[in-house]
Parts: sequence; C-alpha cells; structure tokens
Amino acid sequence: MTDPATGASVTTGSSPDEPTGTVVLESVTKRFGTAVAVDNITLRVEPGEFLSLLGPSGCGKTTTLRMLAGFEQPDEGSIRISGKDVLGIPPYKRNVNTVFQAYALFPHLTIAENVAYGLQQTKVPKAEIRTRVADALDMVRMRTFADRKPQQLSGGQQQRIALARALVNRPSVLLLDEPLGALDRQLREEMQLELKLLQSRVGISFIFVTHDQHEALSMSDRIAIMREGRIEQLADADTIYGAPKNSYVAGFIGQQNFLDATAKDVTSADSAVGPVTTTNVNPAVHGGDRIVAAVRPEFVQLAASADGGKSPGRANVFDGTILSSSHLGETVQFLVDLGNEVSIQARLPTPTAPRLSEGDRATVTFSPDSVQFFPSESTAPQQEPTKE
Amino acid sequence: MPKLRLPKATLALPAWVWLLAFFAAPVGLIIWYSFGYKPSIFGTHANDILSLDRYAEALSPTFFSTFSNTLWVGVVGTLACLIIGMPVAYWMAVKVPTAKRGLLIAAIMIPFWTNFLVRTIGWQIILAPQGWLSQGLQAVGLIDGPLEILYTRTAVLIGVIYNYLPLMILPLFVAFDRVGEPLREASKDLGAGRLQTFLRVTIPLARPGIIAGLLLVYIPLMGDYITATVLGGAKGNMAGQLVAAQFQSAQNWALGSAMAVVLILTILLSAAVLGLIIWLATLPFRSHYRLRLGAEA
Repeated sequence: MTDPATGASVTTGSSPDEPTGTVVLESVTKRFGTAVAVDNITLRVEPGEFLSLLGPSGCGKTTTLRMLAGFEQPDEGSIRISGKDVLGIPPYKRNVNTVFQAYALFPHLTIAENVAYGLQQTKVPKAEIRTRVADALDMVRMRTFADRKPQQLSGGQQQRIALARALVNRPSVLLLDEPLGALDRQLREEMQLELKLLQSRVGISFIFVTHDQHEALSMSDRIAIMREGRIEQLADADTIYGAPKNSYVAGFIGQQNFLDATAKDVTSADSAVGPVTTTNVNPAVHGGDRIVAAVRPEFVQLAASADGGKSPGRANVFDGTILSSSHLGETVQFLVDLGNEVSIQARLPTPTAPRLSEGDRATVTFSPDSVQFFPSESTAPQQEPTKE
Repeated sequence: MPKLRLPKATLALPAWVWLLAFFAAPVGLIIWYSFGYKPSIFGTHANDILSLDRYAEALSPTFFSTFSNTLWVGVVGTLACLIIGMPVAYWMAVKVPTAKRGLLIAAIMIPFWTNFLVRTIGWQIILAPQGWLSQGLQAVGLIDGPLEILYTRTAVLIGVIYNYLPLMILPLFVAFDRVGEPLREASKDLGAGRLQTFLRVTIPLARPGIIAGLLLVYIPLMGDYITATVLGGAKGNMAGQLVAAQFQSAQNWALGSAMAVVLILTILLSAAVLGLIIWLATLPFRSHYRLRLGAEA
C-alpha cells in the first residue's frame, strides 16, 4: 500500500519537473536474502521539504535512507535525486550528505578538520575551506571548539559537529538517520527546535529517519508512516493525527482507544458496551463489517455520576468505574472500566479534571466528530516502539 | 579496622620480576661480558681487563658483511611482510563476513602448531634444485636449468617472509577491524573515494596496529638464526648465527656478547631511522590536510 503522492515524470536526467533538491523513489524494492526490507515504495520529496520516515525498527526506513545515500542499491525501481538517476552511483559521487546515528566523527581529526573533510575532497581553495568551516561552526555555535578532538565533546556537541560537517558541503539533500536518538530527552527537544530552525534557514531538503513520533510530529512538513517495508500513510502532521488512513496509523501516532464493534452503517456501530457514532465517513467501512472505533484519550470526557444509574442506549455515552488515575503533570490520565471486559483511557487537563479515584462511578462521553471507524485488522501496539 | 592497602603496581609484580630476572639482568651481563676477553682455550670469558677490542673484532670486515646482510634481510623481509600482509588483513577485516573470519584466522594460525624448525626444513625440500618447485618451473619453461636459490640470501628471505607473515597479518587485521564500517561510510558520504578513504581514514586510525606489526616482525626477524642456518648456507649468513656460534662452538662469550650488543644497537637504530624516514616522507601529506582555526570566536 503506497501513497500515490507522486506525479513524477518518467524521464531521466535533469528535468524542470524535478529541480535541485527533489528526491523521487519509484517502485523501489530492496531485499536482504529472502527478507523484503523495502517493498515497492513510491515517494516524492519536494525541494526544501522536511520529510520524516517514521516507523518501528525493521520497517525499512533506514534501508530507504541508505539507498538514497548510496550505501545500498535497490533490487527494483528507480531513485532520482535532483532529476538525476542515481542507480549505481557510489555515495561519494552523490550530492547528498548524511548525519549518522552515532555521528561517525573521525577521532583522529580535530573538529575543524572533520568539518573540512568533505570540502578537501573537492577542488575548493584552502582559504575558502577556512572561511566555510568557520561559518559552518558558527552556524551550530561550536566555533570555539574548532581545534579540539571529537572525544572531548559531549553527545549533543558531537551531534552539532556531525550536522555542520554535512551541511558545509551544501548538499541538495540532507539525510538524517535518527540523529537525536543518543541524546537525553531535554537535549533532544532542544535539538529538535534547533534542527527545524536550521532547516528553514538553509532551505535544503531534509529526510529524517526516526522511530519517535514526537520528533516526527514536531519537525516535519510531511511524515511517511512505514510498516514492514511499505508506506502506510504520507501526509502532514495534522492529517496523520486527525485523519489517519487506517487503524495502524491511528494507533502508531499518539494514543488511541480502540472499541471492537459491528458497523450498522458508515456512521454508526454497536460495540460490546453500547452504540457508537461518528461524523467521519470512512469509505472502507460498510454496514455489517467488523470494525474498530477509535477515539483518542484526550477527546474523552469524564464526569462523576452521582446517581450511579445507567444511561442506556445513548450513543457515545457509557457508565463505568474508575480503575486507576495517574497524574502526568499537565494532564491527569484515567482508566475506566466500562464492563464486558472493555476499558477506556481518558486524559483530561489537570485544572478541569474531575477528582475521581479508584472505584468511583463515572460517565464517559465523547463527541461523534472525535470518533473514527476503521476496518478490523491488526493494530499497532499502544506502547512506544522499542529502539532500534 | 585498619585496612592493608598495597600499591596498585603490586598487580604487575610478577611481570616486573620476570622482566628483571630474565631480561634486564641477562642484558646487563651481556654488556658486561662484551668489554672482557676470552682468557684461555678452556675459559669462556674474563673481565679483569676491560677494553673495546671485542667491538673492533665484531665490526671487522669478516663479520661486518654479515651484519649488513642481516639488515638487508630484516628490512626487505619486514617490508615484504607488510606489502603481502596488508591486503590480506584488509580483506579479512573489511570484506569477509564476520562469521567466516574465525576460520581464516585459524587458517593463518594452524601452521604455528608445527615446529618452527620443521616448517623451515620443509622449504629445503621445496627450494632444492631437484625439488618440485624447480621441476615445475622448468616444466612450464620459466627457467632453463635447475633452480639455484637454496643456500642463498633469497632462500633466507623467502623463509623469513613465510615464518613471520602471520605476526604481521594479525595486528593489522585487528587494527583494520577496529576502524569500523561507519567511519568508512562517513568518509565516502563526504565525497572521498576508496583510495582517499584508505589513506585518510583507515591508515591513520590503523597506525598503532601497523607499527605493532612492523616491530613484531622486524625485531625477531633480525635475531633469527634458525631460518638462516637451515636455508642460508654460507651465502646467507645472519648475525644471529654469529652470536650463536661464538657462544656455542667457539666458547668465546666476550666476542659473542659484543656481537649481541652490536645486533641490539643495529635493531634499535635502524628502527628509529626507518621510523623517522616514514614520518618525514608522510609529513607533506599530513600537513596538507591540517587545519587549525585558533580560538578566536
């Protein structure tokens, strides 16, 4: 299942349709032995775009990036960078640079020499190398560290050097392979902001590989959600969050309550705890289908039900018992047992959250426009995917 | 409760004892003997009169040609080991899948299970004028008469390359392996081709291993006398044989000690000179890529 987000022409060589910085993958497949790492991917990245490849480990995102860098060759399909077919072209002849996961700085060279390495491979005059290296180090605010060795720097500092070393060559496309994965959380959030600012300043296409949905959501113009070598959905963050294409994407981004149900028609269904309705029409759902109704914890309303009585029959309204409540800082998270082995998560802003604790009776409601119906299939696990 | 705290260097005590008893003391004795003389036909050494006469003897034309011969075999043999061993080590560390490397390392080590002398004598059979190598080369028409290299310097050179090559390959393999794929990929990503990557990333990072391999081959090779005795004959003498002869046959420990000291000094000086030559030769290459920006912000 690929997103037909490409209107690419089939001509090779430079073309007005694909200006510098455009990356086009057409029906790209890569196998390792019998395992299919990348399965018929078609993708177009526009010049200056920040595109993230997001998925759990083993979904083919890193292999895709390595094919763009030239470290792997696709078994089928074609890859064009800036309108030029790069099939069979080695990494050192491609106008792309990579920021590696573990930075891969040269330990025997100083910071300045690391940054100069790419420029020294071309016929750039020495004086120009000096100024460009100094400028690149200024850009990442590491100028004062120029004559140190990489081992003397912290992880965050090394990450900036890796970025400067790649950007100093003025590539048409920058590839980033989980560059923030090794940093602690606070530093990672800082670097996300810096990286996004930097990208909009240099105007280079960024292709960013990550398994961290927050990272992808906060920085990307568009996100490609990958699973088992295929792109499940390619869209901007709002669309991915608000209108996921299937239950896998719905479950992968953010948190999601899934209620098993049987569709009556495209907007209403019966679950084990009562009727559910939606205003979001999914053309893949037909009356009588087994479906899942998805609603995010942040859209679930919760109120104490003093009388303890049932509210029978009303759609999207359920009575339940609080199983647990936990304080997450700006929000409070509740787990509510709705009976019939169905429970639902609700996350409410701390100032307005009802004071309910374990065993209290509560009424759960959500509005039909926050509910989405998907055909029943395997869904993504709710927990954070493990790190590669 | 008071705790007994030994200095941390105590852990190295066995090594210190070993080094003192079996290295420093014998070398000191050799140096001491080298200033003495052989007193009579039955005595091996005497030190009541000290002189530099034994050194004059050791460096006389008779023995000097053997020292220069040793230096030639040592330098050429070590460089040959480097040139042959480097591609093998690189191939093993970079191209061969990890799972198959153990087998290759075993293949390199297995000859060591056979006695050094026996392995060397094996080359007598191969290199003999009537041996299969000679006959084979004659059969394909590469040489006209029988192969006449046994009991020459060439035979010694072949022998030492064969005997010491594994000592070059193993440290080089470890060094190349430790450079790692990510740094080579980073280099290529930054526009460096295969040769540039090798010269600017692989070699500088593998330098400790290369130096270790060179010393590991050069030092024992210079002192080797078994290979020269078995394959060298009269034309392929090496200094190690001279030392052994003075101690074992001639019973002249004073002269043998002087020769041993000359050999040690030759090894130290030549290694230092060779190191300096390589350092100077690569200086332009290294300074070309040197970049210091200074601390101004």
